[in-house]
Amino acid sequence: MYKYFISLIISLLIINFSSAKTKKNFIPNASQQTVNECLTCHFDNEDGNGEPAHLFKKDIHFNKGITCAGCHGGDPTKDDMDEAMDKNKGYIGVPSKAERYKVCIKCHSDSKKMKSFGSNIPTDQFEKLKGSIHFTKSINASTPIADCITCHSVHNIASVKDPRSTVYPTKIPKLCKSCHSNASFMKQYNPSLSIDQYEKYRTSVHGKQNAKGDINVAECASCHGNHDILSVKNSKSPVYPSNVPQLCSTCHSDKNLMDKYKLPHDQYENYKNSVHGNALFVKQDLSAPACNDCHGNHGAVPPGLESITNVCGTCHAFNAELFAKSPHKKAFDKLNYPECITCHSNHKILHATDQLLGVGKDSKCIQCHKNNTNDKGYLIAGEMKSLFDSLKIADSVSTELLKDASLKGMDISEAEYSIKQIKQILIQARTITHLADIKEFKDKLDEGFVITNKTKQAALDAIDEYYFRRYGLGIATIIITFLVIVLYLKTKKFEKKK
Amino acid sequence: MKESITKKIFNALNERFQLDNLISFLKHKSVPKYRNTIWYYFGGISLLLFIVQVTTGILLIMYYKGSEDLAYESIKFINTKVSFGWLIRSIHSWSANLMILAIFIHMFSVYFLKAFRKPRELTWYTGVILLFLSMGFGFSGYLLPWDELAFFATKVGTDIAGQLPLVGDFLLKLLRGGEDVTGATLSRFFGLHVALLPGIFVVFLTMHLIVIQRQGMSEPEEWKNKKESEKETIPFFPNFAVHDLLIWLIVINILAILATFFPWELGPKADAFASAPVGIKPEWYFLFMFQTLKYIPAKVWFIEGELLGIFTFGLAGLLWVLVPFWDSKTPKGKKNKIINYVGIFVISFIIIFTIIGYLLD
Repeated sequence: MYKYFISLIISLLIINFSSAKTKKNFIPNASQQTVNECLTCHFDNEDGNGEPAHLFKKDIHFNKGITCAGCHGGDPTKDDMDEAMDKNKGYIGVPSKAERYKVCIKCHSDSKKMKSFGSNIPTDQFEKLKGSIHFTKSINASTPIADCITCHSVHNIASVKDPRSTVYPTKIPKLCKSCHSNASFMKQYNPSLSIDQYEKYRTSVHGKQNAKGDINVAECASCHGNHDILSVKNSKSPVYPSNVPQLCSTCHSDKNLMDKYKLPHDQYENYKNSVHGNALFVKQDLSAPACNDCHGNHGAVPPGLESITNVCGTCHAFNAELFAKSPHKKAFDKLNYPECITCHSNHKILHATDQLLGVGKDSKCIQCHKNNTNDKGYLIAGEMKSLFDSLKIADSVSTELLKDASLKGMDISEAEYSIKQIKQILIQARTITHLADIKEFKDKLDEGFVITNKTKQAALDAIDEYYFRRYGLGIATIIITFLVIVLYLKTKKFEKKK
Repeated sequence: MKESITKKIFNALNERFQLDNLISFLKHKSVPKYRNTIWYYFGGISLLLFIVQVTTGILLIMYYKGSEDLAYESIKFINTKVSFGWLIRSIHSWSANLMILAIFIHMFSVYFLKAFRKPRELTWYTGVILLFLSMGFGFSGYLLPWDELAFFATKVGTDIAGQLPLVGDFLLKLLRGGEDVTGATLSRFFGLHVALLPGIFVVFLTMHLIVIQRQGMSEPEEWKNKKESEKETIPFFPNFAVHDLLIWLIVINILAILATFFPWELGPKADAFASAPVGIKPEWYFLFMFQTLKYIPAKVWFIEGELLGIFTFGLAGLLWVLVPFWDSKTPKGKKNKIINYVGIFVISFIIIFTIIGYLLD
């Protein structure tokens, strides 16, 4: 019995302590925020809904039971103005621009405090903001370019999921525009940065959908990040050239999301294995095109039939120019064929092999041109391939002969230098195929045949010279040996005489 | 009986130039015939190779351009475009090396046969000077193709000369024509190779040949007490001269074989801004000295190691030149074994360090 009594006493004590602890840390919610004398005066003295006290009643912080004193300090329980705004009670008035973020991080960087308000939002925003371009770049070296209030506003702050929030996906473009489309403001920080991103964005598929209220499409923060925005030149930025494909793939490889828009979701996989993807990811060639180089970035749209050559022509200028002059241009336009893509595909562009030309099974020409005596294109494709292969064979014959001459110790450096030009001529010939003009193609290959003939002759001459030297040496040795024998016999004769 | 045309020409020349005297001199000149007669041919071989050098050198000058911009290209042109240019250049390079080898053999044979003893001191002195001049020819000629190896080997070689105390800096600038190996160095070396050295060489060669003709061939030491009738000799003309000719033909054939099967290479063009290629070595006749300098510690007692090496080689060279001066026993007809030991040591040293230089580094 005595034991049961002791247990009861301990249990009651534990319950009592727990209750006391809860009371100590308890922060009231809006319904419990009965003692906020600030609002009593400020609400009455304000003209309308746009004023701070009116706004604050709709603020998420108000709803969580945080009083004005939470940010401004002072004692909200006092109805006397002097007492309520007593500096000895921590009243700070309106926080300075340089330090106002400190008011926010007091709670938002403290996970315990955030949990006590029943919030699960991350508490690393300030850490991220600290390293962002918005926080570090400042003309007076003390005030951040943008802090919490710049984006989230003040007194009427709403959850990011709340359409009233200034950072709600459909509102973000306009929010960013407020600074990024302001030429005189942007000039202070980055004079070279364009200010037409918003205008372009509104022409993009993303921008149009966003304007319709679609929160699934990309807006500024989807690509650039939010608190931790970095310069595009920073390799850690999601919009750094080599990071762009992966960034786009976050949405465009999401089957469920893409299905909603009836779009394919294999572009990233195709791109990764393409010649461009290989250049960007494997060779780390930042000049290789990522998604935005063809589709645009802020004004991202799929290239139209007419603009494909222009898009590819940005880098492959000579090929585009030749194609525009070729008979294929007119034919493709008539048939609504998407120019470059017709032969090279789009995201999965593989290294263009020589097999694409001609009438072989891997040829692209036979997709349209058929083995028909009336089909001039078929005959020309076959002839072009045949000439091309002939030059390659002539090149390998000359190279082999030169190698042979070199192994024989002959100096054929001049011919070796010349034969290197064949590689360049073959590259140029591959480009000329876009003109689909057999005469131009032949003229270029003829330059190569002149070189292969000359180098082949040089190699053969060197090999002949090699044998000439040996035969010459053989003859000279025979003559010398003969003279040596004669002289030897002569000495014997002298010795005999003696 | 009618005189033959040859006889007529001879008589006409004899009448004007008294050729009989020369023939009589040559007929009376004789060469000792014994087990070491073979070594007597190396003087002639050295002379032949010098003649080859002069002849091929003159032919090369017709196309060679001794300037920084054109030297390498002109050698390439000689190798590829000039008819038999490759042969002339290869023979010039091979002959240069064989000439130094022949002079070395000639010098050591003279040394071991004690042919330097009185009254042939001057023949010895002029001979050793001719060897040094030949090495100078080799050193200056090595740079002329202006290829990578030549450039850096000259840099290393002149650096060693610059180590000498007091005169080192002056000597380095004198050789290079400035602080570094540049086009100015090439011009100097070209001038040395085709003008200064040949001029000096011809003077010493003339002296060397005159004294040989005046004093005749050196006889072996053991013949000192022999009667004239007991000495077996062969007439210089025509017997020894025909033997000489026979050997010359064989040497020319060897030169042709080397030039055809192992044509002298031309490396990449010299580039002062390029890093030095790995394993730079001087020509083989400098290698034993170069290799020895590598093994001497950086500091020996209070003297710089390299400096000590240079002084040691300088002193050894001087003693070698002055061997007729310090070998007092041989002229008195006594055997001087030390001379033989020194000679064997020097030959072994040169051979071992040359092999090490090629094999180990």
